[in-house]
Amino acid sequence: MKKFLVLLIIPALLLGLMISGCEPEEVDPVDPVDPEEPVEVAQEIAVAIGVEPENLDPLKMTSAPAATVSEHMVENLLYLNEDGELEPALAVNWEVADDGMSYLIELREGVTFHDGEPFNAEAVKYNLDRFMGKGEFEGESPAVFGFLLGEVDNVEVVDEYTIRINMDELFAPLAFHLSHSFIAMHSPASIDALAEGDDITAPVGTGPFKYSRWDRGEQIVMERNEDYWGGAPEIEEATFKFVPEGGSRVIMIETGEVDAVMDIPFAEIDRLEAAEGINIVYEDSVRNIYIGFNMESDLFKNNQELRQAINYAVDKQAICDAIFAGAYEPATAPIVPAVFGYHQAGPYEYDPERAMELLAEAGYEDGFEMELYHPTGRYPMDATVAETVQGMLAEVGIQANLSTFDWGTFLEVINQENPDDAEHDAYMLGWGTVTWDADYGLYPLFHSDEWPPASNRAYYANEEVDALLEQARREMDPGVREQLYAEAIQLIWDDAPWLFLYNQVQVNAELDRVEGLIHHPLENISVWDARIVE
Amino acid sequence: MYGYILRRLLLAIPVLVGVSILVFSIVRFIPGDPARIVAGVHASQEYVERVRAELLLDEPIHLQYYVYMSNLLQGDMGRSSFTRRPVTEELFERFPNTLILTVAAMGIATIFGMGAGIISATRRYSLFDNFTMLFALAGIAIPVFWLGLMFQLLFSVQLGWLPSSGMETWKNLVMPAMTLGLATTALIARITRSSMLDVLGQDYINTARSKGLVERVVVYKHALKNALIPVVTVMGLQFGTLLGGAVLTETVFTWPGIGRLLVDSILTRDYAVVQGAVLLLALLFVLINLLVDIIYALLDPRISYGTQEVD
Amino acid sequence: MILMNNKTDQISQLQTPKSDSEIRQVWRHLRRNRMAMIGLLILVLFLIVSIFAPMLTQYDPIKLNLINALQAPTSEHIMGTDWQGRDVLTRILYGGRISLAIGFITVVIGLAVGIPVGTISGYYGGKFDLFVQRIIDILIAFPGILLAIVVVTVLGVGVEQVMIAVGISTIPIYTRLVRGSVLSVKEEGYITAAKSLGIGDARIIIRHILPNCLGPIIVMSTFRIATSILWAAGLGFLGLGAQPPDPEWGAMLSNGRVYMRTLPHLVIFPGLAIFFMVLGFNLLGDGLRDALDPRSRKYG
Repeated sequence: MKKFLVLLIIPALLLGLMISGCEPEEVDPVDPVDPEEPVEVAQEIAVAIGVEPENLDPLKMTSAPAATVSEHMVENLLYLNEDGELEPALAVNWEVADDGMSYLIELREGVTFHDGEPFNAEAVKYNLDRFMGKGEFEGESPAVFGFLLGEVDNVEVVDEYTIRINMDELFAPLAFHLSHSFIAMHSPASIDALAEGDDITAPVGTGPFKYSRWDRGEQIVMERNEDYWGGAPEIEEATFKFVPEGGSRVIMIETGEVDAVMDIPFAEIDRLEAAEGINIVYEDSVRNIYIGFNMESDLFKNNQELRQAINYAVDKQAICDAIFAGAYEPATAPIVPAVFGYHQAGPYEYDPERAMELLAEAGYEDGFEMELYHPTGRYPMDATVAETVQGMLAEVGIQANLSTFDWGTFLEVINQENPDDAEHDAYMLGWGTVTWDADYGLYPLFHSDEWPPASNRAYYANEEVDALLEQARREMDPGVREQLYAEAIQLIWDDAPWLFLYNQVQVNAELDRVEGLIHHPLENISVWDARIVE
Repeated sequence: MYGYILRRLLLAIPVLVGVSILVFSIVRFIPGDPARIVAGVHASQEYVERVRAELLLDEPIHLQYYVYMSNLLQGDMGRSSFTRRPVTEELFERFPNTLILTVAAMGIATIFGMGAGIISATRRYSLFDNFTMLFALAGIAIPVFWLGLMFQLLFSVQLGWLPSSGMETWKNLVMPAMTLGLATTALIARITRSSMLDVLGQDYINTARSKGLVERVVVYKHALKNALIPVVTVMGLQFGTLLGGAVLTETVFTWPGIGRLLVDSILTRDYAVVQGAVLLLALLFVLINLLVDIIYALLDPRISYGTQEVD
Repeated sequence: MILMNNKTDQISQLQTPKSDSEIRQVWRHLRRNRMAMIGLLILVLFLIVSIFAPMLTQYDPIKLNLINALQAPTSEHIMGTDWQGRDVLTRILYGGRISLAIGFITVVIGLAVGIPVGTISGYYGGKFDLFVQRIIDILIAFPGILLAIVVVTVLGVGVEQVMIAVGISTIPIYTRLVRGSVLSVKEEGYITAAKSLGIGDARIIIRHILPNCLGPIIVMSTFRIATSILWAAGLGFLGLGAQPPDPEWGAMLSNGRVYMRTLPHLVIFPGLAIFFMVLGFNLLGDGLRDALDPRSRKYG
């Protein structure tokens, strides 16, 4: 019966060997799998993304994946390109009135929706009114992201191809907001045709691709719009697949099942760099990750030294290198460099001695305990980072007690309207400045009117910062705005209401045989300019 | 017999009502504000309140349940708070996928498990028998998601035989079904073997043998039918386990089934979908158990009428 | 992911040794069963290693050491290091404690509720029994790991929460098992005799019924521990289980799977650890069942 034991151990070892044998570089990169997709001709492209869109209705969309898929089919008045510049899309020209209180927008002529309906000023008004819950949609629920147009009073049809947007109050970043993918133009007829209570799941827009089908839990397929006003794309069929597991996405690009994938696990970067036929693409992101301090807690209230000490005690560079394979960068401001209004204020260099000095000044030379709440599975390696921060704080005598929550629970526990109900001293969170304008990255997070349930979850309050942020919102001169944001950022940075961690960077991969894919800092991959070569 | 089935069906009703009450209340104990999650991190409080009212979250729980049940009886399970689509639509899209996967896994387990078990029993202590029993031991101790990952490495990456995920062709089904079915294969092999050995040792089999019947006839005609009784029981119960295990398998292979839908819905606090999915799985489970009991009754010699070979 | 409750009915019929000599006989039978002995050996090894972990390794299972992160196995780190630079062998040694604790505590939770409820339900019968049976039917209608998933979402993530969640989903299985055993013991002649002598119910239950149900309970517990360990790992895989920095094997495995292709040791070793521990419990459970079942002595 000893052979039984042997029989047991041998397969285990074999398995081990087999898998160790898997790691060598010579991974066959291309397509032994899918016989019905000969590599030579078919202009079909598949992209694997991590998360399935919740919805494709402007009223209900909240996520980047929804935007990624949606913008292939429905377009905005303006397009924010990957360099952060506004380009004409369905609008050909836009002018701000001298007093800043209205925008005159000229629309592109001769465009039709996929259902043959004409695109015109009425269609724009219909879509914007629906988004805001105004006009004929008065009394109905506005979009989740309705606040993007929160300062708009009404939309006026001037003539068939001109609209005027009248403002309630001055709001400088409006043009950026109009470029947000959630404010896209759908065929009014298609929306009218929806059954009561139904949301848009099969968008009818003007975009380069038409909706084909949505296999729930699996993929969305789109076909080329032959009549696209900008010229039909070369790609005939575009598929977005939803693959939550990073490791599975990697396998899919290695086997050629897909042509591009978003978010490569950091551990795989080196190996894929070396693999033949696969390119790694690094692209900025507009999201940064931070650990906010509860500024109303006994610990951190009126204790700038303590908050700065923690910023000095954590080695952001080491985190970026060890956990994110050097792809991420330490934060140098509360917003990422690409955003309009950025000002370099940091980083807080890693300096444990300085941290100890500040701790001593703050009266905590013997260290202290703090409650650090963090989500798991929300941001790349979030729990690992929290764990690492905990270890680094321990080096300077700070005992951070970690509490881990899944995203749903986390949002609630850190969203205490009354700071006295908050049991945490610090919380880990990220914020994407999706309009690419500092207003969106600073106002909701640092203005004292924005305490929970809004987004200023650090309970930060600084009158000077409030004044600067309000002024910048109303200032129409970009040069002056930049100046105002620079001042605000410096104040915030020195106040250190956060432990400023790092800026995310997207690490995507694509096959050599693909050309012209757009990797966008707003966490999109766009295929309308792409083609399959070879 | 029909009376028995009817009685069992009636008994299933209070169980299902119980399950619905249990799920309905458990789901509401899950911390996290569903209205906030639906609205998202960027949304205004005003908007969150609107969602809350829409989802009836401010109403007392018994009223919420009453509304839910009266709609359910009209075939309306509410809408997903995440995708905003009717839950019935979500479930009926995903459910066939899970069913395909589970049935395929059960098919693999039945063919290979029973086959190996029968051969092992007839060739006791042979190399084949030893190997089968080793496999039977190892098969139920391997974590299912780990096995899935190893299969992906071997069959997709190394050999390039099978696609790693998705569900376009029958090839996509092979790995998930093998992964999900392995433990059940092992279990069925074991039960079949021991049950066959048990039966083969019975007097009436020896009688049959002494009558000069060919061993193959003895084994397949006489022994197998009786040996199958415990196997069928185990298979029925395993079906439920497979439905549970499908959660993990579907996650590894990005299989758009109901298990993954369920876990995703828990994470997004999508009450209506969680309730719907759990109810559906429980209904299925209860029905399968019923079916097993009926088959059991059909196979059991003490209930069947006078066709027994024993003199 | 095997739910062992399909064996409930079978196991609840097992006999319990009633005297020292019978215990010796069972032990003799068990000792002759090589597979069971292998299982026992595996478990004893795990136990020793878990208890003496601090003496067997010079490294810390929690403290991070980023400079040494992600090393392949070397003579210094036989199983390599993880993404925090911690020695994987060390974490596996300490992780044995967690897995054993998960296994035992879930079973204790199941027993703590299952024994009293199952006993009362089986012994007295009546309305209470009907009620309990319906509740069990409802709980058992949750397929496999599902109940644990639902409960852990309510409790939150973490080792303790996983223990409670898996423990709760074990309760109906034990209740049913104990009820079944009590029912079969209750009809024995000596119980009827004791009753007719006017001995109180409590005394009968504690002195005569429960000791006779021990056999099935022990066998079931051995299998359930194995299942609990697998379920806990499964919850970890879904992100609902133990969280860093706890060196729980399931969590190690699921956190390590992003490195699976480049540093497979991060996945292989925790996977093997789970595999062998589960195997150990299953082997021992099989042996115990055979040893306590006089019928099975006829067959291999």
